[in-house]
Amino acid sequence: MTASEAARKRFQAVVLPHLDEAYSFAKGFSRNGADAEDIVQDACLRALAALETQQVEQPRAWLLTIVRNVALTFLTRKNAAASVDADIGDLERDGLLQAHEPSPDAEARLIAADETESLRRGLADLPLALRETLTLRAIHGLSYRDISTATEAPIGTVMSRLARARSALAALLGENK
Amino acid sequence: MSAAEDQILQLQAALDGELDAGGMLAFERACAADPQLAADFSRAKAVDAALRRAAPVLSAPPELRARMAALAAPPKRSWLEFAPRFSAAPWRAMAASLLVGVVAGAGALSLLPPASAPSPDQALVSAYVRTQIGGQSVDVVSSDRHVVKPWLAGRAPLAVAALDLASSGFPLAGGRVEVIDGKIVPTLVYRRREHRIDVTELPLSGHDNGILRLDSLEGYHLARWSDADRAYVAVTDLPSAELTDFVTLFRAGAKGEREDANKPKQ
Repeated sequence: MTASEAARKRFQAVVLPHLDEAYSFAKGFSRNGADAEDIVQDACLRALAALETQQVEQPRAWLLTIVRNVALTFLTRKNAAASVDADIGDLERDGLLQAHEPSPDAEARLIAADETESLRRGLADLPLALRETLTLRAIHGLSYRDISTATEAPIGTVMSRLARARSALAALLGENK
Repeated sequence: MSAAEDQILQLQAALDGELDAGGMLAFERACAADPQLAADFSRAKAVDAALRRAAPVLSAPPELRARMAALAAPPKRSWLEFAPRFSAAPWRAMAASLLVGVVAGAGALSLLPPASAPSPDQALVSAYVRTQIGGQSVDVVSSDRHVVKPWLAGRAPLAVAALDLASSGFPLAGGRVEVIDGKIVPTLVYRRREHRIDVTELPLSGHDNGILRLDSLEGYHLARWSDADRAYVAVTDLPSAELTDFVTLFRAGAKGEREDANKPKQ
């Protein structure tokens, strides 16, 4: 089917400016460049179809939500260990919020370049539910409300996932000290 | 929810810009009264900033971007669509039908009113996308400006500033010619990582005032500027910050070259 001119115009305005973020997010999700390309392509086709009838007010959040849903379907189909529910189960066992033990000189301490790698690994190792929530917030700048819509989780859950993800990464940096 | 958890979520909401003005004011007051809280807050900010450095937004591969941009391009009424299809036709019949298609297509075209010409910017972005999909962005492949420059000079009426910016991280990949507004114009192709910047020189028009203008079209970034006797348009899939860096280098280089050329020969 050929998209209408209106849909193509909206696609240009809404989707293309956020293509890098869509790809980046898909890659963080799938941990694989080739999969990320497939995911983004599928998401773009869905976006184009949706734009036939839809006006979008929050393009970034809207597109990332589509990417997230496509990625989830894609990964489930690929039979990867990507069940969000399983991840959440792990989290419930860990208790709600981890103990928060700030170091006294924390504010003075600069986060060194060699810690970049451990942060990168730490983020990649987070359970999917935490990883996607933190990525949407810290990297893509989505509001709690938009993350709640994108991940189909209540705002309270978004907040506690964010806190857990951040506390896990902060702990990781602390270990390297 | 314990008081400690409550405080963590409060701090986080402040960090994420989710507090309203009153809430933020209260949080700042709490920070002023509690050095530990203030320390935790700056620590949290530092972790987030480090995370953004560690996991920055990646650029979509150029080939993916080109394919997705093509989704938004107006459908092409190719004469192939009019040609009858023979799924298992022998090659001779295929060739014949293509020829019929060409003739019929050409005939139909001559009856249509002339379509409005695309703007130079639009035409250059289309050229960029077309060459990206086709995989052949240059007609002359060389990183040597002394090869590219004469090649272009022999084909396009405009003199080209084939600058070598490899030392600044923008190696020259080659050049090609484009036809814009019915004029043959030279295009230089530079590389940056796996990305590309196409710089096209255009005849100076009345609108050009030397001021750099940045724009984006179909998800690509454009820069337009001019010097004393030429206008330039750069098209790229790089972020616009890097395009600006490139343009700054290119302008400085072109200025240097012009001054060299104007120096009396020793």
